[in-house]
Amino acid sequence: MTSEDALPVLKVLIIGPSGAGKSALLLRYCEDHFDPETSTATIGIDFKTKKLSVRGQAYRLNVFDTAGQERFRTLSTSYYRGAHGVILVYDISSKSSFLSMEKWIEEARNNAQPEAVLYIVGSKLDKVVSGGRAVSTEEGKAFADAQGAGFCELSSKTRENVRRPFVEVVDRIVQKPQLLKPPNANNNTLSISNIGSDYSSACPC
Amino acid sequence: MESLGDEPWDVVICGTGLQQSLLALALSRSKKRILHLDPNDFYGQHEAAFSLQEADSWVTTHTGSSGAESVAQTTTAAPAEGSAGPGGRVFRNANVWRHPEAEANGLTFSRAYSLALAPQIIHTRSKLLSQLVSSRAYRQVEFLAVGSFYVHEPARGDEPAKLSRIPSSREDVFSNTSIPAKSKRSLMKFLKFVIDYDSDDQRDVWQAHADTHLSDFLTTQFKLDDDLRKYILALTLTLDGKVTVANGLAVIHRHLTSMGLFGPGFCAVYPKWGGLSEVAQVACRAGAVGGGIYMLDTSAEVETADVHDKVSLKLSNGISVQAAALISSRDDVSHGETISRLVAVVKSPLKSLFEATVEGAPAPAVAVVAFPSSTIPASESASDPPVYAMVHSSETGECPNGQSAIYLTTHTSPSAKKNLEQALGSLLATAAEQETPICLYQLYYEQTVSEGTPLVETVGAVPKFSFPSPSPNLAFDDSSLDTVKQAWKQVMGDEAQDDEFMIFEDREGADANDEIYE
Repeated sequence: MTSEDALPVLKVLIIGPSGAGKSALLLRYCEDHFDPETSTATIGIDFKTKKLSVRGQAYRLNVFDTAGQERFRTLSTSYYRGAHGVILVYDISSKSSFLSMEKWIEEARNNAQPEAVLYIVGSKLDKVVSGGRAVSTEEGKAFADAQGAGFCELSSKTRENVRRPFVEVVDRIVQKPQLLKPPNANNNTLSISNIGSDYSSACPC
Repeated sequence: MESLGDEPWDVVICGTGLQQSLLALALSRSKKRILHLDPNDFYGQHEAAFSLQEADSWVTTHTGSSGAESVAQTTTAAPAEGSAGPGGRVFRNANVWRHPEAEANGLTFSRAYSLALAPQIIHTRSKLLSQLVSSRAYRQVEFLAVGSFYVHEPARGDEPAKLSRIPSSREDVFSNTSIPAKSKRSLMKFLKFVIDYDSDDQRDVWQAHADTHLSDFLTTQFKLDDDLRKYILALTLTLDGKVTVANGLAVIHRHLTSMGLFGPGFCAVYPKWGGLSEVAQVACRAGAVGGGIYMLDTSAEVETADVHDKVSLKLSNGISVQAAALISSRDDVSHGETISRLVAVVKSPLKSLFEATVEGAPAPAVAVVAFPSSTIPASESASDPPVYAMVHSSETGECPNGQSAIYLTTHTSPSAKKNLEQALGSLLATAAEQETPICLYQLYYEQTVSEGTPLVETVGAVPKFSFPSPSPNLAFDDSSLDTVKQAWKQVMGDEAQDDEFMIFEDREGADANDEIYE
């Protein structure tokens, strides 16, 4: 069996407008944690790691949060580097949240690698019972279909469907071998992490 | 959503150049309330990297003082105070050229390119790398090896022009067939000296000459001939060829002692996707993860400075904010040194420049080619200053497969642009395997630098710290990290603990539970 460190690593980003519930989804999925009080921008989360097996193969999933940089649309191009999948989240109780998806899809397409898997999530499904739905399932699905993206609705609060986008994104990623091994990835990237510990012992000449 | 103007900011940082961004990284665990702005709609300021479209729009705002005769002292209109300006003073005389049939020849979509405005290689010994590791920011940056350094040798008699690889290790010197045995001995002696030139034993050799030209020192003390001297001077990467003994030895020492540090065959690295721009973006993200608020396309002007211990800033979007400290960058560059840059995209992978020369070495993505001054640099004749070309393969992500991005730099002079174009032509003629590759795209501009020290002022009762403009050096200079630390101390005040600067724990929590799904 492969050791944990040798698991293939997949980078998945969560993007979308402020207040759509991106961090709630990340925390519910990765840590099964939900804080109904926290509604402001998230501080301190870079990414969370979760192991996930799909079709008998284990993967290490690194799920990245926007760190609030979506608020003024200042996500950097470097955020998108090497992402295998992008999950775009809107709030089903907010029409404007859904309408912004077009711009977010465009940003993802402009910055992520061409083969990256896109997946659209309608969040806050729990609000339906109190009559809070502003975007129908059909609208969301039709938009996702038109973009060739996967789609589901979920609630981080009730856990409903929370695992589904991640499982489906990984399932789509692993069916694209060219995404896992890009043609020009000759593995020339260097490891500089050893300088933390071995800096002084490295031979200078 | 809380409003930006409600509470005062501990610090407002204007500009997302490398230094301001590293400051944001350094402050990212400090609990300080940080507002980080950039008047440009892109990250990286003077160190930005551009798609072709971004480069085009940048050129339209940096065409200033295009009259070739009046280049020297012309300045553009002063930017708003505290805004640092969008680099309008640092860069000028920009223009862009496209091959008339560029698309047919392979110039592809805009975002396939990521052209760096001020690319620098980073020696493996640089503190920038150890700080990126200790601050845990390094994982988001991919580093590539900088490979061989070459000197362009013009045609001599029957011998055609060629690129000679500069030997920079013992093995290199031994295996080199073009250097006569006697010269090899002198060169070995010099290389051995440089490795510990600053030891008690060796200091006597050079200290009396510290401020003289390195070129003369190499002749008198080490009997290096013209060719070897050219090699050594090329390794200093200095743009005027008049480097002093003290500075030159320090740079060559850094070069030699960086060799092999991270692996065989290379002494420097380059961040993929546009160099320091990528580092700046990763540092800004760390700032955002720490709670910093980011706004691009937004400048700031000092509104009033007499509000107790705060300064009131008017942002270009109309919002007023209060700040307890201001960070900006110097734009008083009119008396600084000026360099000319030419960025070229060529239709060839220029494979011969990117061969690994040592077994087990990673394939390099960057090669350095020096075009020395036409005459001995120490002489007072009006010789043209040297030209350096940094050749980047498509591995850098700066251009598509099958193409290369070439960054040429020289001191600004009336003939600078012509010299850069000639050097590009010579490079292509000597580096290509078969026919000379065609150039698809060229971007020319001039870059002026401010004084190399930060400007520390007060606005009302509030400190304002302005970073110097980026150095014109082709290799990253660690002294700018000291400036970042100085700014960090300014912001942190009494809380600053020297041994905590840029030293952080990993952020991500322990692994969550396994999940099996079939």
